[in-house]
Amino acid sequence: MGHHHHTKSRIISRREMLGLSAGGFGSLAFMGLFGTLPFGCKRASHLETASNLYLGPHYLPKAKNVIFLYMDGGVSQVDSFDPKPRLAKENGEDPRKKFKVDATQFDNVGKILKSPWDFRQYGECGMPVSDLFPHIATCVDDIALIRSMVSNFPEHTNANYFLHTGSGLQGRPSMGAWMNYGLGSENNNIPGYVVLDGGLIPPGGLDNFKNGFLPASYQASVFKAGPEPVANINPREDIKNLQEEKLQFIKQMDDSLIGKIGEADAVESAISNYELAYKMQSSIPELTEFKEETEATKKLYGLDSDDPHLRGYASQCILARRLIERGVRFVELTCPNVGADRWDQHSNLKVGHERNAHAVDQPIAGLLKDLKSRGLLEETLVVWTGEFGRTPFAQGSDGRDHNPSAFSMWMAGAGVKGGTIFGKTDEYGYRVIENEVTVHDLHATIMHLLGLDHKQLTFRFGGRDMRLTDVHGNLIKDVLA
Amino acid sequence: MFIHRIKVLVLVGTLGGLGISCDRTEKFSEPLPKVVDFNFHVKPILVQNCYLCHGPDPSSRKADLRLDTYEGAVAALKEGGHAIVPGKTSKSELVKRIYDEDPGKIMPPPETNLKLTEREKALLDKWIDQGAQWKEHWSFIRPETKMDMEDPNAIDLLIDRQLEGKGLEKVPMANKNSLIRRVSYLLTGLPPDPKEVQEFIADTSSAAYEKLVDRYLNSPAYGERWARHWMDLVRYAETKGHEFDYAITGAWKYRDYLIRAFNEDVPYDQLLKEHIAGDLLETARKNKETGVSESRLGTTFYVMGEGTHSPVDVRQDEADRIDNMIDVTTKTFQGLTVSCAKCHDHKFDPITAADYYALYGVMESTRFSPVPSDNSKDKEITVKEIEKLNSYMGKLVAKKWNLPKNSDSNTDLVQEIAVDLKKKTYTVIGDFRGRDLDGWKSDGHAFGKRTTLGDPILDQISGKLLGLQEGKASSRLIGMGIFGALRSPNIILEKDFVGVRAKGKNSSIRIILDNFQLIQNPIYGGMDQKVNTGNWNNFVFNVAPWKGRKAYIEIIPGGYEGHIYNLPEDAFIEAEYAVTYDGKWPSNLENNLGSVQAKGTWAGLDISPYKVRMFNDDLKKGKLPARIPELKSVMDSSQQLAKKLKTDSFFNGVYDGYGVDSPVFNRGNYKEPSEERIPRRYLSVLSLRDSLFRSDGSGRLELARTMLNNDNPLTSRVMVNRIWHHLFGRGIVETVDNFGLQGKLPSHPELLDYLAVKFRIDGWSIKSMIRTIVTSETFKRSTLRGEALASTDPNNIYLASFPVRRLEAEAIRDGILMVTESLDTLMYGAPVATHLTDFMQGRGRPRKSGPLDGEGRRSIYLEVRRNFLEPMMTTFDRPIPFSTFGSRNVTNVPSQSLILMNDPLVAQQAEIMAEKLLEKKLGSFEEKVQWIYMQAFSRLATSEELKKASHFFDMLSRMERKDDTGADKEMAVWKEYCHSIFNLKEFIYLI
Repeated sequence: MGHHHHTKSRIISRREMLGLSAGGFGSLAFMGLFGTLPFGCKRASHLETASNLYLGPHYLPKAKNVIFLYMDGGVSQVDSFDPKPRLAKENGEDPRKKFKVDATQFDNVGKILKSPWDFRQYGECGMPVSDLFPHIATCVDDIALIRSMVSNFPEHTNANYFLHTGSGLQGRPSMGAWMNYGLGSENNNIPGYVVLDGGLIPPGGLDNFKNGFLPASYQASVFKAGPEPVANINPREDIKNLQEEKLQFIKQMDDSLIGKIGEADAVESAISNYELAYKMQSSIPELTEFKEETEATKKLYGLDSDDPHLRGYASQCILARRLIERGVRFVELTCPNVGADRWDQHSNLKVGHERNAHAVDQPIAGLLKDLKSRGLLEETLVVWTGEFGRTPFAQGSDGRDHNPSAFSMWMAGAGVKGGTIFGKTDEYGYRVIENEVTVHDLHATIMHLLGLDHKQLTFRFGGRDMRLTDVHGNLIKDVLA
Repeated sequence: MFIHRIKVLVLVGTLGGLGISCDRTEKFSEPLPKVVDFNFHVKPILVQNCYLCHGPDPSSRKADLRLDTYEGAVAALKEGGHAIVPGKTSKSELVKRIYDEDPGKIMPPPETNLKLTEREKALLDKWIDQGAQWKEHWSFIRPETKMDMEDPNAIDLLIDRQLEGKGLEKVPMANKNSLIRRVSYLLTGLPPDPKEVQEFIADTSSAAYEKLVDRYLNSPAYGERWARHWMDLVRYAETKGHEFDYAITGAWKYRDYLIRAFNEDVPYDQLLKEHIAGDLLETARKNKETGVSESRLGTTFYVMGEGTHSPVDVRQDEADRIDNMIDVTTKTFQGLTVSCAKCHDHKFDPITAADYYALYGVMESTRFSPVPSDNSKDKEITVKEIEKLNSYMGKLVAKKWNLPKNSDSNTDLVQEIAVDLKKKTYTVIGDFRGRDLDGWKSDGHAFGKRTTLGDPILDQISGKLLGLQEGKASSRLIGMGIFGALRSPNIILEKDFVGVRAKGKNSSIRIILDNFQLIQNPIYGGMDQKVNTGNWNNFVFNVAPWKGRKAYIEIIPGGYEGHIYNLPEDAFIEAEYAVTYDGKWPSNLENNLGSVQAKGTWAGLDISPYKVRMFNDDLKKGKLPARIPELKSVMDSSQQLAKKLKTDSFFNGVYDGYGVDSPVFNRGNYKEPSEERIPRRYLSVLSLRDSLFRSDGSGRLELARTMLNNDNPLTSRVMVNRIWHHLFGRGIVETVDNFGLQGKLPSHPELLDYLAVKFRIDGWSIKSMIRTIVTSETFKRSTLRGEALASTDPNNIYLASFPVRRLEAEAIRDGILMVTESLDTLMYGAPVATHLTDFMQGRGRPRKSGPLDGEGRRSIYLEVRRNFLEPMMTTFDRPIPFSTFGSRNVTNVPSQSLILMNDPLVAQQAEIMAEKLLEKKLGSFEEKVQWIYMQAFSRLATSEELKKASHFFDMLSRMERKDDTGADKEMAVWKEYCHSIFNLKEFIYLI
């Protein structure tokens, strides 16, 4: 069957549907390159057309999984990955005398503000990184840096929706949902799209992670630190084996119902879901306890730190690795709550960015190194980005406002050309002047690495074949290995 | 335009003969039809394979060939010949090209990844051979039927005809237990009360079933169920989502309105009118109990969209909002995806970008506003009485002063101050110092229909005449505590400042940029100014950043806090004029009454600001009498009446603005508008008579009328199909929100048309339509189907049996509450706060969580917070409220099982059920199990089931801790048993 089975006219037989609907039980014939079983997904029979069935990648993928490190609020590019010596020279001067200043959300334009951090060159590639990220800096040879990102929106929520769903409006499917729709999950015991809530849900709320018009099966499962990592994952029964006995009784009764009514695929799949749910109950706690992690690994991520936020983010990073090891397709990490309102430093840039960076820097570097040493970086795409950048001039005296006209992001891992710098901003880091990369381009590229053609992964809704990239998106070829 | 317009009825006759093979069909799994029908056989092939390059959108058209019109298909091709020559396949280029083996010539071209099957090619071939008969898209042809409207078996006749044609054998009727559970759930969303089950079983009369149906149709729970269906269409939510999830004021009043409307069986045409133009109807529909006007509440559906927190590009925000309104309106009422024509002509449907922008103008001319929830006919009458009394007071003064004589001496000196127009640095937007409101809209009652000019001012205690009022717009004109808003026409901002001279208390002046309502910091905070000054004051708005934007000024007593409108009792606002200017506040304005009209009558006389001053001078000097005894009592009555108009309860709705025609935005980008503006009108393709909207306002009333025009082919079809969908789980047209070319074809076109015609004839009664359908045999069939049907009709399109259906999210939760006897059937009112779990985080999170069990209320009464949607609801497929969802997904995921297995609500309800069970003091084990079965499944357990229950029970008993005392232990065991019952598939499926 190969990977041609996504063609529109393919007719899915009843039994094949059942295979799918049971979340993969007995549907080996349907597996593509990576066992393309949508996580427990019943393909609703009344989806608009058969074109709403996508099963498996369009071509040979580089990456199996994505870890999306979301830098909520917008990291300042000129303070992290895009050094601008001119800011130091013109520190304190009026930006409006230097260039045209766009309307911003707070419209409190201050003076040109030099970066409080020094930049140094790292690695064989010599990529400059600021002192905010001394640990990530040690991984630059694995990193493809894009300095020419732009967003369509200067407001957090629109920009968050845009980055996550390809649309600035609420209610559209998130990229994690699209990836799972396109590829399915590799693991039937864990959802294919997981959001690790590090403490801060980005503005726009859980809708950043929802399925939109795709079936609800594709929405993210939110994991939290604590005794119940996933909603309703812990059995309520406090007596050993009680739940198993109940489930057996339920199964027995349900089976006799099937015997009575005969033909009823939907009911049969609902029965199978209990088996999956039961397995999830045991596989998820196992996941979140790091029993078999060595002290060295824990230390690598920074689990021994004095900073509780760093420790928190470190365990999220370890968990992310454990999730992708188990075949979870798309894992997103939200930011820890360091008490500085994400990366959104409208004032007090120095303190806020330092606290945030301190919490995430070592765990992220640990994650990259750990993935690499386990050979997992070859099949995992790690994406680090905010929703937009920040202004090179101050908001008030010591903050920076939102800047959708230029920001930096990086990718590492599967299919990515490490040690690359792509795109260029002007001398202030305010606007992109070379190789502009849009969010749609980023989506197209992430999908490409997963073996999905962003133009072909469509879902019929409201009379249109909807895409994550709408009618846009070009591959960022220069960062591909 | 369409030469061969053939009635659907005729073609359906041919559909029945689909199974009959003709000469060339051997090689196809499904034989070719005898007569190839354009709509049902040919067009689906063309739409899927050809229209991207040869369809309605000229921008992507290749070779100048269009296959979406007959003229286009038979026209001479550029390179010679014709794509289609009717009756002559050998001369038809289309036929040559689809069979061509040369990859450079074959159609569709290989790079499109599209490929016609042999059967598809043969169909096109045969169709051309048979004369290439063209027809209008099926859903654009008016429904007609030859069926007898009174025939109670019409549905079964039409269903059976197709079953016979397909050689499918019907299954027998469902048993009474299944039937009552089915009818109860589908009509009311709740399981039947076991007593009702027993009664129904016992009632062997022939009318038993009809009685049952009527009982459920008349149950208040019916409205709760069907209102919720409707809420899926209008993206119902109680907050606006986005960054801070602001509240939508009074959203729940709209929900209650729906429940009442469905329960009272308000005809669908009325419901439609109220949604589209409830504020513009000549006579509003009254609430039967309270007398309050219902109709306006319908318009709340417009404001159910998302609301952006401080968008930098407010114009884009408006475009997005309007797009959502067009999307929801056209999908809901017409089953058309007009929104697809935002950037270019629709790729498939004959809907042009111009059509889209014609409707865009309608939406753009509509203004959002708080609306008092207690408007009524009585209040309208009261306002008129007050106006009469007030003008009577004027007459009394005029009479006493014998004005005709006096006025002769006062020649009109209005133009005394000459204005050098060239030097003018300002433009007057509104001047209320004259008699009228200068063309502004006085929405609501507070501002009345004129200014205060010349109104007598009385000493409140003595009733002594103190003078005549100068001209101003006043929210106190009718009385205090009354809602009203004075709104300017649309202006294009061209100067740096907008200024309003006003005074008042606890009130506001707002500049509404591009209809943007969520005014606040950062960015827009300055566009909402509070008015709290006893003396006249100049309120200045710096609008310089928005030059070129459309805006209007809103003067309103009370104001917004956290985007919720409040009207304090002492709030009032008065305004003299509004201007827009550069630089400093124009100094000569104060004395310049140049723009003030002298016209208007006061007690039958011309009155002008100048005359008022003269009279007041004369009065002060004692030249005119100040004692007019009758005045005080008239004033008292007027003030007494005004108290009846006080209001403090609001919902978000709309008022009509000023008609704006929109240009077409090239590629959907408002920054690239066309030169020409598109007049507001209905979709051109449906070519309904008089589709141009001529109203000075939005044209929404005309929009409603066009939708209800007898020739509109969609309105009734779309609605009966929705009803069918809710009853059978699938519409006759499966794509319930899309009747366009990309939608599915009807499985039973003749049936759909019969129902559509009947719906109209029966006065658009939703209840009658439901009754007609559920009393059919088709509806009453069993779900039990054998392997034969499974292979011949795997998706049960032809309804030889009733489809097995999973219950919706609400029905599952409400069902649990009902069977545990914890359902609180209290209807209506403010929603029960969302229960927040630890997983529900983010901005705008309410400080307090709602109760776990939602106070036992039905799910429809639980709050719908966009950013904090109830996990149980979304997991069981309640749609995310952003667009129209006429058909819910039915997913099957482990998180559903996890909810039923481990969610605290389900566990809590199992415990309650066990308590209730033990309270009944039933004797035997068997009686207890039977009670549970009747509650949960509306039937008795079989002996086999009893046996299994007994084994299970014994096992549970052994497992429970030994140290538990008897009663506690029994309770614990029954709890586990009840919990298991909720987890049986029979509980969440209609079997």
